[in-house]
Amino acid sequence: MQNKTIDGTMLRSLMEAGQVWLKTNHQMVNALNVFPVPDGDTGTNMLLTMNAAVAEVNQNGNSSAGTTAAAFAQGALMGARGNSGVILSQIWRGFSRSLHGNDTINAQQLANAFCEARDTAYKGVVRPVEGTILTVTKDIAAEATEAVKDTDDAVEVLRRCVIAADRSVASTPEFLPILKQAGVVDSGGKGLFFILEGMVRYIDGLSLEEATFSVKPLSAMDLENALEDVEEGQDWEVVVDFKPNDGFDLGTFYKGLEDLGTSIQVGEGEGMYRMHIHTLLEKRYEPIDYIMGIGVITKVAMENLLAQMDDIETSAKHNTIELENVQPGQIAVITVSPGTGISRVFASLGAAAIVGGGQTMNPSTKDILEAFEDLPTDKVIILPNNKNIILAANQAKDVTVKQVRVIESKTIPQGLAAMLQANPDGDLDKIADKMAKSLKYVITGEITTASRSVEIDGVNVKEGQVIALMDGKLAVSSDSLEHACMLFLDKAEAQDHELITIFFGAEMKHVEANRIADLIRERYSNLEVELQEGGQPHYQFIISIE
Amino acid sequence: MGQEKTVLGSIHISPAAIASVVYQAAYQSYGVVGLAPKNLAEGLASSITHDPNRGVNVAFEDGKLIIDIYVILEYGTRISSVAQSVQNAVRFSVEKHIGLTVAEVNVHVQGLRVSNPD
Repeated sequence: MQNKTIDGTMLRSLMEAGQVWLKTNHQMVNALNVFPVPDGDTGTNMLLTMNAAVAEVNQNGNSSAGTTAAAFAQGALMGARGNSGVILSQIWRGFSRSLHGNDTINAQQLANAFCEARDTAYKGVVRPVEGTILTVTKDIAAEATEAVKDTDDAVEVLRRCVIAADRSVASTPEFLPILKQAGVVDSGGKGLFFILEGMVRYIDGLSLEEATFSVKPLSAMDLENALEDVEEGQDWEVVVDFKPNDGFDLGTFYKGLEDLGTSIQVGEGEGMYRMHIHTLLEKRYEPIDYIMGIGVITKVAMENLLAQMDDIETSAKHNTIELENVQPGQIAVITVSPGTGISRVFASLGAAAIVGGGQTMNPSTKDILEAFEDLPTDKVIILPNNKNIILAANQAKDVTVKQVRVIESKTIPQGLAAMLQANPDGDLDKIADKMAKSLKYVITGEITTASRSVEIDGVNVKEGQVIALMDGKLAVSSDSLEHACMLFLDKAEAQDHELITIFFGAEMKHVEANRIADLIRERYSNLEVELQEGGQPHYQFIISIE
Repeated sequence: MGQEKTVLGSIHISPAAIASVVYQAAYQSYGVVGLAPKNLAEGLASSITHDPNRGVNVAFEDGKLIIDIYVILEYGTRISSVAQSVQNAVRFSVEKHIGLTVAEVNVHVQGLRVSNPD
């Protein structure tokens, strides 16, 4: 009779295992979201709910299964986050109610608890949508009811429920066209599956800390970054799209692949799978042969990674910019930048996304919107860094459901000054306020060549002359670049400030920029003068005076 | 009233139209089991209404769209989480379907339905 029932202590371990396994896999659940709503972090919401539930069990659980389940349900209720978290807490509430007063859980009682969980979950909504976590709950309860006809072992019932949950999750796209279109399964259902699977993995003594294999929606496959993990000798990349035959089992498939190479990724969508692997030169056809045996291949792509790596290493060193990785709830700063050097400075100060654009290439509202719509937070600050882009930024603010503040920075130096005040963890309005106030502490100089002859604000300019704009207004003109810089710095009363930062443009030579920077250093020896590669077009220099 | 000018004339969107979208969105949020009439006088006849205009109030103040929604929630759910989900869903739906920016969504929990007392 050993192990046929579950007592409070074991239930507690199972719940914990479910939570840990969900934690291991919650990013994958997040990746399944197809609805662009702010409540989109299903995996995270379910995990936070489970965390609260487990914390409560650790406080108030005991050797009685009924008491432990009640503590678990209470914790889940108190910690429920988001739609999926609320549903999960309802599931556990029904589950625990059914177990009230029981010291142990036998097979029949477990089945009853799953049925009660289903009934309670369905009661919380007027129009239940099938193809969601509710459907999975229903299928689990049905399987549990069937299972008790065959066994009196509660663990065996749980095992069968996990299999049913897996099948049910796989069927969700049949109910919801939007899932089918996106090539994913329901995220909430998948989260529930992981919780139950974690319990069985615990019983079987399997690891809960490491995802064994991960199948992602095709859109979430990250083949570009997989390059970073190229191991010695594994210098061929093979990607195969295929439609599996009946009886295809992912676990077995994965094990087979492990003998062939490394950096394995499998994605699924619309009835087909995509396999990615790194393999040895002489083994490069083996994955194809292997997959031919289990399905119909629709497409094969092969590449020599070593050759590719050389290309990437030379270009990546210059072009990859490490953006701030914002977490849910944090403030993301989106900034517009006209050149790679300036982008890099913004990134080093913590920008979460950078939109290319500037004087002659204004980004659209859509460009700006796309930069932040997919970030995992709903608090966003936009730095347009050009007066012609402020409008687009404000429009992006108007169409999104996220909370957006636009700091009306009109120049790159203003944007950088504002960026220095950014803090991902502060209060959105306070930070935005601080950033907006910082704009006036910086003077901007933009040095460029006049495209036509004109006289504005008493400054006479001939076509082809070098001009300097101070905070957007024409300030000085001159025949030489260095002279224009000096005149501008004079006019801006640079000597009364502390720091001059010079960003040189894409058309400037480094040596020439250095020479002019040295002249400025000589003249303003009491100031700090910094020269940076800005990479912006049209403007030889963008100068910031603080 | 929601108003928009186009080259051909203007488009008016009535509060009732917006209320219908709000009504649908609220019912999609897990935990919402009904909408309630805004005040007692209206509600004497029935406690749960199926007329969207009776559980939803749509107002334009200084060009801002303010939505008040009166809901009955399922007992045993975390009220604050459900109410937040309703706010998100309503705002998202109205902005998506109607294209107006929502300034406020105020959720009034008018009561709880007890299916299962614990």
